[in-house]
Amino acid sequence: MSGEEEENAAELKIGDEFLKAKCLMNCEVSLILDHKYEQLQQSSDDPMNQVSQVFEKSLQYVKRFSRYKNPDAARQVREILARYQLAEFELCVLGNLCPETVEEAIAMVPSIKVDIFFFSFV
Amino acid sequence: MFFHIVLERNMQLHPRYFGRNLRDNLVAKLMKDVEGTCSGRHGFVVAVTGIENVGKGLIRDGTGFVTFPVKYQCVVFRPFKGEILEAVVTMMGFFAEAGPVQIFVSNHLIPDDMEFQSGDMPNYTTSDGSVKIQKDSEVRLKIIGTRVDATEIFCIGTIKDDFLGVINDPVAI
Repeated sequence: MSGEEEENAAELKIGDEFLKAKCLMNCEVSLILDHKYEQLQQSSDDPMNQVSQVFEKSLQYVKRFSRYKNPDAARQVREILARYQLAEFELCVLGNLCPETVEEAIAMVPSIKVDIFFFSFV
Repeated sequence: MFFHIVLERNMQLHPRYFGRNLRDNLVAKLMKDVEGTCSGRHGFVVAVTGIENVGKGLIRDGTGFVTFPVKYQCVVFRPFKGEILEAVVTMMGFFAEAGPVQIFVSNHLIPDDMEFQSGDMPNYTTSDGSVKIQKDSEVRLKIIGTRVDATEIFCIGTIKDDFLGVINDPVAI
């Protein structure tokens, strides 16, 4: 079993490129892929043929696992989460999984417990 | 996890495509070449969302082909070790799918109180029957390893930790 040796999302070790990148919640991806699919429908008779299996599987997946069906709700969630000093990756995991308790949140995004620990002393 | 990133690629274009529609041809070729592919570094390229920049074309020595450096924005799916995400069970073993990526959860990484029941609808069930994992169940799992080969990324996952396992119906806001 190989892979990048030091990679570990639990410690937010996901590489500089992805730490700085824009992370997307499933509902946001759903909007983007829907839009793209519509564009394809307008410009061709058979959009299903034009998209890759990766696209189809991703579209099905984000539709099934979108927590917020309403784009405004998605935007609000991002705005609220953005007020805390979270990395993009942490924000999206929380937005996707919607943990109900603090314990669950820390289990889902172990890298945030560092901040909680720090702030509890301030 | 899905990301929106900028990638760069050198596109080679045959002279037959030069002319008014050069840029459109370039973009179409880019999408055909790149969408649906997978690399260890960036994961699966799900969709190209826009072109950021097309550089000056360079004519290759000896052929009429021209190479254009293209910067484009795209949505990628890149699974990370240690990441927790939701997936759909596709087959007993069990195998699950999260978007384009396949994840395998072995018996060792399923809680001890869940037993495999074979039959028409093979599944994993707890001893009191309260929790069942079968084909099409939605589960929350943690990726504990990834393997990259030429065309895809394959993951190993676990549901043995706290807050992992079968998901109850998500509430749609």
